Amino acid sequence: MKESTKMLLHYITGIGIVVAGGVHVFTVFFTGPYLQNLAFNGGPYSVIAVYRNLLLAATLELLLIFVDYHALNGIRVILIEFHQGTNWERGVSWILTVTGILLLVYGTRTILIANALA
Amino acid sequence: MTEPLTTELKKALYGWFYPYKYSLERWAYALQRISGIAVAGYFLAHIVETGNVVGGLDVWTVPSASTARDVWTATFRFLDNPLFDAGLIVIGFMLAYHTVNGIRLTLTEFGFLQGRPTRPDFPYEPKSFTKAQRALFWLSVLFAAATAVYALNVFFGV
Repeated sequence: MKESTKMLLHYITGIGIVVAGGVHVFTVFFTGPYLQNLAFNGGPYSVIAVYRNLLLAATLELLLIFVDYHALNGIRVILIEFHQGTNWERGVSWILTVTGILLLVYGTRTILIANALA
Repeated sequence: MTEPLTTELKKALYGWFYPYKYSLERWAYALQRISGIAVAGYFLAHIVETGNVVGGLDVWTVPSASTARDVWTATFRFLDNPLFDAGLIVIGFMLAYHTVNGIRLTLTEFGFLQGRPTRPDFPYEPKSFTKAQRALFWLSVLFAAATAVYALNVFFGV
């Protein structure tokens, strides 16, 4: 992938995070007492209620994808600004790609299982 | 590559944390980097933390709701203390700054708020850092401070 494509994706995911992250922060802090919203169940926006709501769970999955890319590409940019060289840049990209996939898999597992919790 | 890797990394980090004779734009840059790393660290911890909503790392099938609730409640109790709350206030500040300054950078990337190119004159202030850009930078600092105050109220009820 071209460097410019990676950066374009960085800006697009950034805008996506503003939207999806806005929804996420709103549901936690502005829909009722924060402690009730972080309780396992009980309120309309408690942890499990949010995961069971298909729209909100889908927003969380989108947020996960956006932040995953944005964060790890950000770290990549910082690291290749510190130091240049084919091996360094390849190594950084590989390690961060694997980290990103692992995070994505683990986060998606959380969302899918929490959505299916009885 | 004239210097060893560690020397280069040291120099680069030193450049961020020793803000001697920084212009405003350089401050914006350093803060964007530092806040980015902080929020990325929070993201990593947050994925692990929310993994406990369904029972933690070794759960890969749907567990019983009571098991999941116990693990999550224990996790929440562990995290619900002044140290982590103070950390969240810092993360709130960093996240708010990174958001608004990130919008400024996105506008810049696509050519907005740049101003016209002019002849470079002493004292060589960055001309691309226009009044609108400065305003957005200060707005991001203001928004970050407001978020920190709000978070302080949420977590410590000041």
